[in-house]
Amino acid sequence: MIYLQLMFTFMKIGLFSFGGGYAILAMIRQEVVLNNHWLSQTQFMDVVAISQMTPGPIAVNAATFIGYQKGGVFGALLCTFGVILPSLIIMLIVTITYLKLKKQKWFMNVFSKLRLLSVGLIAAALIMVFEDAMRDWFSGIVFAACLVAGWRFKLNPFYMLIAAAIVGMLLG
Amino acid sequence: MLLKLFFSFLKIGAFTIGGAYAMIPLIRKEVCETHNWISDEEFMDGLAAAQSCPGPIAVNISIYVGYHIAKGKGMAVAVLGTIIPSITIIMLVAMLFNNYADADLVKKAFHALRPAVVALIAVPLVQMARRAGVNIRNLWYPLLSAVLVGVLLISPMYLISATIVFAVWQGLRAKQA
Repeated sequence: MIYLQLMFTFMKIGLFSFGGGYAILAMIRQEVVLNNHWLSQTQFMDVVAISQMTPGPIAVNAATFIGYQKGGVFGALLCTFGVILPSLIIMLIVTITYLKLKKQKWFMNVFSKLRLLSVGLIAAALIMVFEDAMRDWFSGIVFAACLVAGWRFKLNPFYMLIAAAIVGMLLG
Repeated sequence: MLLKLFFSFLKIGAFTIGGAYAMIPLIRKEVCETHNWISDEEFMDGLAAAQSCPGPIAVNISIYVGYHIAKGKGMAVAVLGTIIPSITIIMLVAMLFNNYADADLVKKAFHALRPAVVALIAVPLVQMARRAGVNIRNLWYPLLSAVLVGVLLISPMYLISATIVFAVWQGLRAKQA
């Protein structure tokens, strides 16, 4: 039963994830933390950090990780399959018809509006994780340092997380 | 040919960290320059479609490129190449994480990783907003959706469905006028 639920949930996540990476996180959080209570808010952030530090698409990483936690290897495979299944169908149709669809006004309008929305969804994910991560001074300082490193110095996210992990081990 | 395609995507899937935006330039180089499988222009069209369609962008672009090169088989091979390294590595990490999650050092590392993740989400937001064409007139829309989803905890599903319906209606009406 859990298997069906896992796969179905991640299919829903795949279907309603526009804008890639961080916009997908908003949807994963909604389903996995709020609706199904498979993870706590804190565990969710751990999954995001792990997904960022390992190679491959973030959504696939998160799906595999959560699937493994809840249903072992089989659960991991099902979640991964679930999250990419809507892609496979929709993207295949679009690939075949894109040149025609590109000329349709309503079609392009959908995408430009969805792009606006995905900015809002990422901001929403930000609001939600912010409350939970800023528990003490140490967290605030790490956050500010990473913000400067990423914004001002365009530090690669991978190195940023590795640096944060080391700082955490030494001082946290 | 299919083998080459598979290993190209496998290589990219295994060695790029940080999601789709790190993978795209490598995919382009591999399929447009190294192997000359599709033209630059075709790739850019595919990228636009991949970013617009639901699902992980890296998976979407693999579908597009794979299909262009060798139809259904190419698609299957490219997608498998992209996700196999992820799945394998993540499962290993998940096994280890279950055993060591309570270790002191791991706890300390995640204490710093959590705020770092928040910064990681915040940094590309401005750039994304610019790319999406956010301006003074339409700023209310992402702001409102951020409040609805982030504070009032409304599922993004409803907003996405409503946006699609509205955009199709608007687009069709503009066509008639």
